[in-house]
Amino acid sequence: MSPSQLAIEAVDLTKTYPGDVQAVKGISFEVRAGEAFGLLGPNGAGKSTTIGMLNTTVKPTSGRAFLGGKDVTKDPIGTRSISSVVFQDAVVDQLFTGRQNLELHLRLWGTNISTGRARIAQLADVVGMSEYLDRPVGTYSGGQRRRMEIVRALLSDPRVVFLDEPTVGLDTRIRHDLFDVLATLRDQTGVTILLTTHYLDEAEQLCDRIAIVQSGRIVACDTPAHLLADLGDLVLEVRVDDADAAERTLQTAGIPEKDILVIGTTVTASLRDNQDDSVIHRLREAGVVVRSATTRNPSLDDVYLRLTGDHIAAGDEMEAVK
Amino acid sequence: MTTATATMPAATERRPANPAAKAVRAVPTLTKRRLQLSLQSPRAVLVPLAAPVLFALVIAPALANAVAPGPGRTAYMTFIALSTAGLLIPMNCLFSGLGVIVDRQQGAMRELMVAPIRRSSIVFGNLVAAVILTAFQVVVLVVASDLRGANYTFGVRTLWFVGAALVFSILMYGLAEILTVRMPSPVEYMGAVPAMAIIPFFLAGSLFPITAMPAWLAAVAKVLPVTQALALFRYGITGPAGVSALHNIWGLHDATTMALLSMAVLVLYALVFVNGAIRLFTKAGTS
Repeated sequence: MSPSQLAIEAVDLTKTYPGDVQAVKGISFEVRAGEAFGLLGPNGAGKSTTIGMLNTTVKPTSGRAFLGGKDVTKDPIGTRSISSVVFQDAVVDQLFTGRQNLELHLRLWGTNISTGRARIAQLADVVGMSEYLDRPVGTYSGGQRRRMEIVRALLSDPRVVFLDEPTVGLDTRIRHDLFDVLATLRDQTGVTILLTTHYLDEAEQLCDRIAIVQSGRIVACDTPAHLLADLGDLVLEVRVDDADAAERTLQTAGIPEKDILVIGTTVTASLRDNQDDSVIHRLREAGVVVRSATTRNPSLDDVYLRLTGDHIAAGDEMEAVK
Repeated sequence: MTTATATMPAATERRPANPAAKAVRAVPTLTKRRLQLSLQSPRAVLVPLAAPVLFALVIAPALANAVAPGPGRTAYMTFIALSTAGLLIPMNCLFSGLGVIVDRQQGAMRELMVAPIRRSSIVFGNLVAAVILTAFQVVVLVVASDLRGANYTFGVRTLWFVGAALVFSILMYGLAEILTVRMPSPVEYMGAVPAMAIIPFFLAGSLFPITAMPAWLAAVAKVLPVTQALALFRYGITGPAGVSALHNIWGLHDATTMALLSMAVLVLYALVFVNGAIRLFTKAGTS
């Protein structure tokens, strides 16, 4: 791929915070122009730090990064001029109306004000926020504010939009609404998107490729379909009294060790060629007490589990405890 | 939700990029933003004004009646009323700094940090807004106290007052911006206001000449920027009587030389504080 086709290029980026906290330990990836790329992982995995290094709010300890061919450390204003960010939490002037917040963005990004105003009207219509555009943002609901921030991020016609966990704290309905908006805007603008999330469905819905980040490193990077393809047709999930015995039995039933994962008393196994009935039968024959058994389609959560030995949600809980 | 059939509007035109233009382009925008935010929260304008105006309109005449009744009353009242500018300017600039903390915690600061502008222009935008608001308040103070009976003399020397008020406002805002980085919590920040604004005011020759204090305290007072500013205020608009404040600091006989020295001290402080503010702000914006 020629450099001109790359919207984002990260080369061995590392970030160590004071106290020798290594948030990012050598991340490299490339995102083509027009591609939607997801960084998926639990809180504390290094996703937001990576985005911070790309949007110039975090200084890399080592490594290099380019946006549209511009070096983020050597030309920070140049890289900021072709990108914009939707942050995790509210980053707005609450006393201003939505329109005032949007016009401020136009001015800061050096966009022609009169054509910018027309674009505000059109984008507001696309995301359904025209009726509350002139209300103070402090009166907006969480979903309304998010829509305003998404419109703001697209106003200056950026080549790259960073979406840093844009749906955190929103309820399921609003999350789905917003992702519908994002998918529509992405289809219509062709903008390059870098999304960080720990919601697997969001990554699957929006992203062409996904990098799974664990403890500051990318542990897998591929299309969602390819990541899921490695997991077979179905996933068997059983809760048993003796997980070791269950694991041994599954192996003797022909399931490779790499396809079996044990977490506490829950054992999951990737199944191929409709093995499910025979496998459960073999477990019972071997005297393994099966408390519950379900089969389902593989999900990115399973991919994540295989790659990291950890649940994304569990990682979040651990982070919350810390 | 009306997403399915809408077509995307054409991309907006971007004005041609020019590094020099970029450096200054954002300052008026950011100044306007800060002024709009301040004016939408009138408390931010009125609260810093309340105490000094009360001082000028009520306390100064009352003190003059109590301390210097008779022929010296007007002179002392003028002395006190003008001193309140030495309280108003730091208070207003420090309150403006509070807006920066709100920006960081609940406002659009991170949006500003990822904008294609020099980060120093965020400091300058806020600084210009603080200076504009402060100038308005100083004018209100001077007019109000003049109407109340203070005896000011306006002429060419008034430029010393204007210049000193401007530079003193700039240095106090620089200090405020430094404090916002060092004390990111509003509670902690507000706790520092008395130390930065009120205590120096009482040491700076505001209620009495600094020569009335013990020699060591007078020496401390001479180092304070508010002492230099007050001396220039007096020199600027209180006629020949104003020269004595400069003399108390410098001990020279040429008033213009002393005024230049005091202004040089203020400018030096302003350069140090504003430079420090920009460095700290920029560093804090990139972890």
